[in-house]
Amino acid sequence: MNDQLLIDKARENLGARVLEITNPALRRIFLRVKAEDLLEAVGWLKNQMGFTHLATISGVDLGQAFEILYHFANNFTCLTIRTEIPRENPLLPSICEIIPGAILYERELQDMFGIVVQNIPDGRPLLLPDGWPEGNHPLRKDWKYERPAEVIPGGKK
Amino acid sequence: MLTKLTNWSRLKSPWILHLNTGACNACDIEVVAALTPRFDVERFGILLKATPRHADVIICTGPATRQMKDRLIRIYEQTPDPKFVIAVGACAMSGCVYRGAYNVIGGIDQVIPVDVYVPGCPVRPDAVIDGVVKLLNKLKG
Repeated sequence: MNDQLLIDKARENLGARVLEITNPALRRIFLRVKAEDLLEAVGWLKNQMGFTHLATISGVDLGQAFEILYHFANNFTCLTIRTEIPRENPLLPSICEIIPGAILYERELQDMFGIVVQNIPDGRPLLLPDGWPEGNHPLRKDWKYERPAEVIPGGKK
Repeated sequence: MLTKLTNWSRLKSPWILHLNTGACNACDIEVVAALTPRFDVERFGILLKATPRHADVIICTGPATRQMKDRLIRIYEQTPDPKFVIAVGACAMSGCVYRGAYNVIGGIDQVIPVDVYVPGCPVRPDAVIDGVVKLLNKLKG
């Protein structure tokens, strides 16, 4: 299976749902879809194209929107599904019904970006410590962290 | 007489608890290496204990993270008096490269009192043993 064959199949099977498909380097394919078409694209990739390995899900804060990248791999190539969701209403469908192991990545997305993943089986915080204040998401670009003042032990100033 | 005896026994058997408060594991490997027969810490009576209730000395590696803060205090309070804390590694001393990260408070001394600081990233096993022996000398004199 080469890259061009995969691109042709994507256009054939997903049709108008493919917003953009690029192939910037050998064995790297980027497929851009809308957030509501995400489940269909992931299901097609896993069930028909054999992309059973979800390497990771990464998120990018673009200012007005969040871009979510799902990095898939099979034995031949890597394919990344990119989707954008607006910052004001960050709702993302959960892909756990297709790939159950994605739950850890989705919980991390919720923690770090404040994205609401819909239909997630278990949405508890994963990485942030206990007692973390609500509404603070460390990977958002506008999030500012003020380090608490450190004390010198022994009462010195 | 009795004080002399308790002090002697305290000096001859500092049982340690190895506690990772968020280290990258490099210091932990060095602490474990210090416990091997090559360095033979039992000549000082140093023995690794599995629970803070049996330990005299807490060897802390890594910066104090927010998640670990309450647990660190709980472990410190479970240790019977007199108790001593050795901060092993640059992270345990000041936070090192993790200093200023959103989930790190700083060094161990931001949470519990520390008796001996052992610098290094990671520390050498010799340095860990030297730290414990310095602590014992501090108690002696």
